[in-house]
Amino acid sequence: MEHTSLLERILRGVALTLVVIFFMFPIVWIFMMSFQTNETILRIPPQLIFEPTLANYTALITGKLMTAAGTLDIAFMRNLGNSVFLSVTSVAVSLLLGVPAAYAFARHKFRGSEDIAFTLLSFKFAPALLVLLPLTLYFQKLGLANTYIGLIWVYQLICLPLILWIVRGYFEDIPADIEYAYRIGGHSWFATFRKIALPLAGPGIAAAGLLAFIFAWNNFVFALVLASADKQPVTVGALAFITSSGIQYGQISAAIVLSITPTLALALYAQRYLVEGLSLGAVKG
Amino acid sequence: MASLELRKIVKRYKSQTVLDNLSLTVADGETLVLFGPSGAGKTVLLRLVAGVIDPDEGKIFIGGEDMTDVDAEFRGVGMAFQNFALFPHMSAFDNIATPLEAKRSSPGTIKAGVESVAKLLKIAHVLSHKPRALSNGQKQRTALARALVGSPPLLLLDDPLRNVDAKLRFEMRLELPRLLADRGATVVYVTQDYKEAMALGDRIAVMSQGVIRQLGTPEQIYREPANIEIARLFGDPTINLLDVKPARDSRGIYVGLSNVQVHLAGAYDTAVGRDCVIGLRPEALSFVEESTPGAIPVTVEAETPLNEKIVTLVRTVRGREILVSRPAGTPGRSEGKAHIAVDGKSALLFDHASGDRIGSKNVVALRNGEAA
Amino acid sequence: MTAVVSQRPKPSGFRISKRVLPYVLSLPALLVCIGILIPFLTSVVYSFQRYRLSQPWARQFNWGDNYISFFTDPKFWNTLKVSLLYAGTTVVLELLLGLAIALLLQKRSTLNNFISIMLLMPLMTAPALAALMWKLMTNPGFGVLSYLASLIGLQDFRWASSPSTALFTVVLVDIWVYTPFIMILLLAGLRSLPTQPFEAAALDGVPRSFVFFRITLPMLTPYILTATLFRLLDSIQQFDIIYAMTQGGPGDTLTVFQVEAYLNFFQSTNVGRSAALMIILWAITYFLSNIFIKNWLRLRERARGQA
Repeated sequence: MEHTSLLERILRGVALTLVVIFFMFPIVWIFMMSFQTNETILRIPPQLIFEPTLANYTALITGKLMTAAGTLDIAFMRNLGNSVFLSVTSVAVSLLLGVPAAYAFARHKFRGSEDIAFTLLSFKFAPALLVLLPLTLYFQKLGLANTYIGLIWVYQLICLPLILWIVRGYFEDIPADIEYAYRIGGHSWFATFRKIALPLAGPGIAAAGLLAFIFAWNNFVFALVLASADKQPVTVGALAFITSSGIQYGQISAAIVLSITPTLALALYAQRYLVEGLSLGAVKG
Repeated sequence: MASLELRKIVKRYKSQTVLDNLSLTVADGETLVLFGPSGAGKTVLLRLVAGVIDPDEGKIFIGGEDMTDVDAEFRGVGMAFQNFALFPHMSAFDNIATPLEAKRSSPGTIKAGVESVAKLLKIAHVLSHKPRALSNGQKQRTALARALVGSPPLLLLDDPLRNVDAKLRFEMRLELPRLLADRGATVVYVTQDYKEAMALGDRIAVMSQGVIRQLGTPEQIYREPANIEIARLFGDPTINLLDVKPARDSRGIYVGLSNVQVHLAGAYDTAVGRDCVIGLRPEALSFVEESTPGAIPVTVEAETPLNEKIVTLVRTVRGREILVSRPAGTPGRSEGKAHIAVDGKSALLFDHASGDRIGSKNVVALRNGEAA
Repeated sequence: MTAVVSQRPKPSGFRISKRVLPYVLSLPALLVCIGILIPFLTSVVYSFQRYRLSQPWARQFNWGDNYISFFTDPKFWNTLKVSLLYAGTTVVLELLLGLAIALLLQKRSTLNNFISIMLLMPLMTAPALAALMWKLMTNPGFGVLSYLASLIGLQDFRWASSPSTALFTVVLVDIWVYTPFIMILLLAGLRSLPTQPFEAAALDGVPRSFVFFRITLPMLTPYILTATLFRLLDSIQQFDIIYAMTQGGPGDTLTVFQVEAYLNFFQSTNVGRSAALMIILWAITYFLSNIFIKNWLRLRERARGQA
């Protein structure tokens, strides 16, 4: 690598520039569209320079959309609230269920533990609709159709395997002797779990939680199948929005920007753990 | 109050038997050293006693109480780990304090307890540091302090000097016996270093492959090793082992070394005519004049001066290599032809086939499951 | 245990036997998951039934009929073809592109690290929203990509609305979202490789193409396998991008397994056929996931070993 020729360096530079343009352009472009009025958006050729407006965001946040035909209610803020509530609650439940289980799998190899761990893992790879379609019928009977509880339960399908396998790895990284030392010192397993295992696996648990949050937030199909408008998160809501609002492209762009900002921000914040999380602990970053 | 008794302990991992029907008794206040190569099962044994792993078979009694099914936190033992196992997120003070916290002692008691043990171990000045900020020696002392602070009647020390540098190991080897004696606790001490074993143990249990091969005082283990393997493990430089076939003449039983008859003191009647191995400690050999009876002609190959002794490698006329050790400052040969003499009384004779020592003296060799 | 008088602390209060403890810890997670296993079994049952939501009275077991009818059903063969084509194309292209980018960014430098973090953004965008973004950009009226296409002579390029370019468009979105996934895994793999073989090769003046094919690629193979299988498992089940972009259209151009099953269930209310489709997809993913897990475990062991 030391003796790279000038030509090679130029080629590398060009290649990297193309890569960055391809992957960043859509985000930048939608971001720009979200600050444009419909008139500027519809102009051909597309404008790079325009007078930015916050009108799209104001309309979304107030929930009132002024059109030529009159005022239109938009429920986008409700979708955003649903996304926050569903993701946060699902991750919280997942952590509550998954962290003790991860600890059990990491520390106590018990009969059937690996089978159970792999069954949980296989949920991540099974087609979602395989379970979701019959579940709609069950949920209707159980009264769970279009409820937050039902959705949060199903969201465990995404969050739980993720948390279980990532956190398990972090628990396994703690030398067993450290926990033994604490117990021999006279502490119960629960005290050991609380005072030794949890603090030492803390960063990993936080990272797993953030990742689970991102995946829950980005999920589309669960809510599409199981929720109606008032319970839908942004992923489904934005899709409905595009058809209901007709040609309000500025607002749609603004809605997309608002919908992807939380996950992008969290991803940047937790990027150190992303590699490990995305590969379920198979690759360390 | 805290004698320790292990009865017919068996521990398997998958198909491998790590401890094979092992029994052992440690008297109250005694320091027993578990000595053996890595993989002998010493650490597993210690963990079984501590209660962090369970035996597949057998019983564990501490202070006469059956502790086999008692969780680790209720066994009242103190343990120091080879890799220290300090809690990385706590200061040295908090590390040491954990056993006292478990007893729900008052903050004042905890502070006093930690500080007194820290003073004893000379780490009072680093109590506020996190483990990552401690030197290896300080870590080791912190781990030891944590094991000692609750004054447990039974102390388990798993090769605590393994991961510290030579100088500190030397200091601690002098310091530990007094420290342990002052505590009056029963101690089980694991080590792979025979000098440590000799310095610390009231008795030594030599382990290999999950079995106690010999149990005795340091003196017994050194002078009367049960077999070649144990003879080889104790002593530096290692014992010289030469194939011989003992014979008898009017003066008693002798072996031929380089055509010189070396008479052995001891009842070796059964060994006559058998294929044997003679074990000669390097310090039981000495350079002598040619005229000395029983002098064996040798050629000096190399001389290695160590601090307190000089080790010489010599070759017999038959080409066998022998190490001779003598205290530094005593006369010897550093090159050319020389003669050595064997102290017939300290020679050890082993059966060639089994490796077991032959002889009339009390051999404390143990077979599987036999208590001492 | 027996009560004996001594000064040891006594077992008291909240105590769980150490044999039961792991089960107690993992039980809640298990219970939640059993709730998920039941609908899975229901799916299996449905797949052997003639079951239309619109005709609940006609519901009955028809055993293998749903599956047998697939053989003569051109719609099913189309589903299979499109699914495999979609999965194959996306995974191959993403692998090549991801590997190339990872190699470009291999050297640790502030710029490279910054770029690799930026490239994560598409991956963190919800696929359904990503599809919407591209839908806006490929709008025939004002879409910037439509405009750019017209600049290079592709007048009236219809993107996802035309049967001939719909697959290309959704594959493009998939590449945009998921290439960073392969890139980031391979980059981590590349950076974890031992340096000695490369230094030795550089000292010996071994040609770089030789180094790449004989040293880099073989050493990277476990990472490539894991990343590829991971993506393949995801891609064969793709729903979000395709549904959000075209709802399987135009016509049945993009009716991949999950989209077809969704449409069968909710539009034609043919529960039996929908379930049978899902079972076939499940069989494919089950087969793939078994291979995947083997590779993944090996890598995981290795990563844990480094810890």
